[in-house]
Amino acid sequence: MAMRQTPLTCSGHTRPVVDLAFSGITPYGYFLISACKDGKPMLRQGDTGDWIGTFLGHKGAVWGATLNKEATKAATAAADFTAKVWDAVTGDEVLTLAHKHIVKSVNFTQDSNCLLTGGNDKVLRIYDLSKPEAEPQEIAGHTSAIKKALWCNNDQQILSAAEDKTIRLWDKNTKEAVKTLSFDASVSSMEYIPDGEILVITYGRTIAFYKANSLDLIKTVDAPASIHSASLHPEKDFFVAGGDDFKLYKYDYTTREEMESYKGHFGPIHCVRFSPDGELYASGSEDGTLRLWQTAVGKTYGLWKCVLPEELSSENSEILYCPPAEIKA
Amino acid sequence: MRSSMKTPVSVLRLPRGPDPNSRGFDPNSPRFIALCPTTVPSSSSSGSADEGEQRLRAELRERFLRTLLLMTGKRVRFDMHEHVRVHARFGASDIDVLNLQVSDLETPLGVQREALLRCQDVIACSFEA
Repeated sequence: MAMRQTPLTCSGHTRPVVDLAFSGITPYGYFLISACKDGKPMLRQGDTGDWIGTFLGHKGAVWGATLNKEATKAATAAADFTAKVWDAVTGDEVLTLAHKHIVKSVNFTQDSNCLLTGGNDKVLRIYDLSKPEAEPQEIAGHTSAIKKALWCNNDQQILSAAEDKTIRLWDKNTKEAVKTLSFDASVSSMEYIPDGEILVITYGRTIAFYKANSLDLIKTVDAPASIHSASLHPEKDFFVAGGDDFKLYKYDYTTREEMESYKGHFGPIHCVRFSPDGELYASGSEDGTLRLWQTAVGKTYGLWKCVLPEELSSENSEILYCPPAEIKA
Repeated sequence: MRSSMKTPVSVLRLPRGPDPNSRGFDPNSPRFIALCPTTVPSSSSSGSADEGEQRLRAELRERFLRTLLLMTGKRVRFDMHEHVRVHARFGASDIDVLNLQVSDLETPLGVQREALLRCQDVIACSFEA
């Protein structure tokens, strides 16, 4: 029996949610961090969306947020010209890294020892977290504000996307640009999948997939509306995308066909990511909420419960919340 | 547009939102306890044990006081020394919980309109909430 998707809404932020990131799978499950223009990034339990804590300290909008694999550290990039590193277990601020302009992106290496930052001053910076007082290594080259910077290829290379409509692949040691991709429009988002070395980027209405080490194009897909963010499922059978029309689109990666679209957000979608186990994806929107969506609609997982038709009508049903069926006029 | 015929997926509850009074990161969560074993930086280990005990004492005290409040006006059974068991309507306790003011105390000699029970004589009291 086909079921209708019930997204789970995570409230708490008071301004648009502009970035989100999942941790890896830890002995305590996996976690989700959300960056918000209200300056208060939040940590949530990844499979339920339950709030765990809020990182307090930034004095401006938080544009980027990330967790390390073990979810023991968090990093945030903010409009107060700082990037901060946090203890993701206690919520305490561990390090403040001063920059010369708004910081937009932060990314840990696999071993959590180095932090990559990028922002409006157009310079990529690499901080050694074991020597925080030391000056960061700098990589210059972009001619406009950097929107996103990611480690790739076993942390030996760096991918950066900027307002100058380029994506550049850098060698971490030589600090030289190995390859540059130019576009007609500004790239709105970038996701790196280490397993398979795939880069997912969005610009205009397009979702494009590239080989991360060569920047060779794999395929592109065009959506019905301007897309702000996309994410590829860990098993590479689907990808999801969201943007200006408030809807989330789910596509078959192999055939590139649109499978489903979901309404729910009340504003443009700024970020979307699959969970590390691929069972759900999270979206952040201008409407200030995060929503969790099931990959396999109807499956029992997290807070979603598979209910057989007989159970729904029985007297002793323990299901606490069944969303009312919407009648559309 | 037609009405949707599909059944929406059921949900056990909604995700928990932020606590308005705290920034979270519950120190009693399994993850916190496992990953931050010595999180009291300044005080010694015995100090932190005392803090824990004090917290528990405070919790128990609060529970006791709330029980007294709940008991007010109710018919309470008092089990006392020498196998004495009496029923009465509980009024109040004094500030040091030395005496309990009760009404309509049922004794073997009859019903006492008003009485004071000495707390040190009381072993237990029970009532229906």
